[in-house]
Amino acid sequence: MLRIEGLSAGYSAKPVLNGVSINVDAGQFVAIVGPNGAGKTTLFKTISGILKPSGGEISFNGVDLLAVPPAQRAHLGIAHVPEGRQVFPSLTVMENLEMGAMTESGRRDWASNIERIFAWLPVLAERRGQFAGTLSGGQQQMLAIGRGLASSPKLLMLDEPSMGLAPSTADFIFERLIEIRQQSGLTMLLVEQRVAEALESADHGYVLEAGRVVLEGNNETLRTDDRVRKAYLGM
Amino acid sequence: MEGFLQALAAGLLIGAVYGLMCVGLGLIFGVMRVINFAHGDFMMLGMYVAFYLFTAAGVQAVFGNAVGPFIAILLAGPVLALFGYFVHLTLISHVSGTRTASLEGEGHYAQLILTLGIALILQNGGLIIFGSVLASIRTPLSSSAWELGPFFDMSIFINKARGIDAVVSLLIMTLLSLLIARSRIGKSLRAAADNPTAATYMGIDVDRAHRTAFALGSGITAIAGGLLATNYPFHPFVGLEYVIVMYAGVVLGGMGSIIGAFWGGMTIGLVQQMSTLILPTQLQNAAIFVVFLLIIFFRPQGFFGRMVERT
Repeated sequence: MLRIEGLSAGYSAKPVLNGVSINVDAGQFVAIVGPNGAGKTTLFKTISGILKPSGGEISFNGVDLLAVPPAQRAHLGIAHVPEGRQVFPSLTVMENLEMGAMTESGRRDWASNIERIFAWLPVLAERRGQFAGTLSGGQQQMLAIGRGLASSPKLLMLDEPSMGLAPSTADFIFERLIEIRQQSGLTMLLVEQRVAEALESADHGYVLEAGRVVLEGNNETLRTDDRVRKAYLGM
Repeated sequence: MEGFLQALAAGLLIGAVYGLMCVGLGLIFGVMRVINFAHGDFMMLGMYVAFYLFTAAGVQAVFGNAVGPFIAILLAGPVLALFGYFVHLTLISHVSGTRTASLEGEGHYAQLILTLGIALILQNGGLIIFGSVLASIRTPLSSSAWELGPFFDMSIFINKARGIDAVVSLLIMTLLSLLIARSRIGKSLRAAADNPTAATYMGIDVDRAHRTAFALGSGITAIAGGLLATNYPFHPFVGLEYVIVMYAGVVLGGMGSIIGAFWGGMTIGLVQQMSTLILPTQLQNAAIFVVFLLIIFFRPQGFFGRMVERT
């Protein structure tokens, strides 16, 4: 579904990504883990088109993504749940979800999507009329996920959904994500610093360090790899 | 007491039109964060467009002297919206929006110079094309009045043209508020204003949202200008007189708030008219800025401004 080949990108003269290749098949749950500054968010920004790569290729369902203007990429079925949530603070919860549903499929499936989103994330139903800026961090994260789901995406990209949240809230959001994935079969690409949880729930994982993929494999391979165990799982 | 009521009425009427004028600028600033120094000159253009539509394009012949001016003024809105659309497409978009999002100061320096340049071109171009003779959109309503009252033996006289100006302003303001609050376009404009990056992730074309806001803001201020022109004569440099009032109104209302811009303009209209009760008319504008400073001193974020961090 998503194929990234030899992608290099960065800010001004400083390269952050150095020839990264990543593959996500339809229906897969892929996790990208790695330390701060490894280039995880840069990778997502490049996929969404906020950042132009200096080299490499990205294709999505056979379409050359780099030839598609950034604002059109959501319409292809890519939903980006950004780092730091980035909800629209002066819009209500409901209006935020409507913004997620700007895509054609999102508009078409609006009624059934909203029903599912409210079932998965009931707090959004309770707070539907509240301004997003007044929500707590965890609620904003749930709204960001709901907003992504409202577009009826083919691929849901999640950038550190646990960032800045209390551990119990982060756990709750992880459980929700796994439930959403089990019930919808949605293809997901997750970037996470909570390596143990991420690798446990994903089918396939990549370890990104200093802008390069240093390791990849299915979750079994990664979780039993000595380097991963030492560096990330503290074993 | 009678003088007070009369000044209050005059202030409310002119305030409604100032409010609309500020809303046009407030919309552009709120969505794009671009400081458009040429906005007063867009309004000047709107006045002349309304003037020529009325006198030369046959609106007067078809609709007569009473209704005609208002038809011409309303038509000037779409004309200036189109003008704004192309100014954004050909000029402003090069120094704003996603192209400059990663630059230092988000391209504000270039925007400053560009919009000042556009202002100079419009002013001097206007002088060449329209000449320096004062023009005005004359209607018999400008020189007749409705008598309200008597309330406790006092009557208030409402200039008919100004009364209709205020009603038209309020109608357009209501329509715009509904558009911004309810429609998909309005919501996407607000989303693009809140967080352009996240709006792009949603599939909203931020540059196109900016162009929509710029066109809409230009059209609205043009209509406000036309309404003012039924009572105040104008010339190619009239924009300079109003652009300062517009910015004062937008800042008073709270940067980024559209309803705030309306109340900011209304406040300025009221202060301007009420000040004539105790001050000579030459000090009207000085009074506006004394009150402006006082309000900003006690409420720096303006009436409707919120202290929110912009991402």
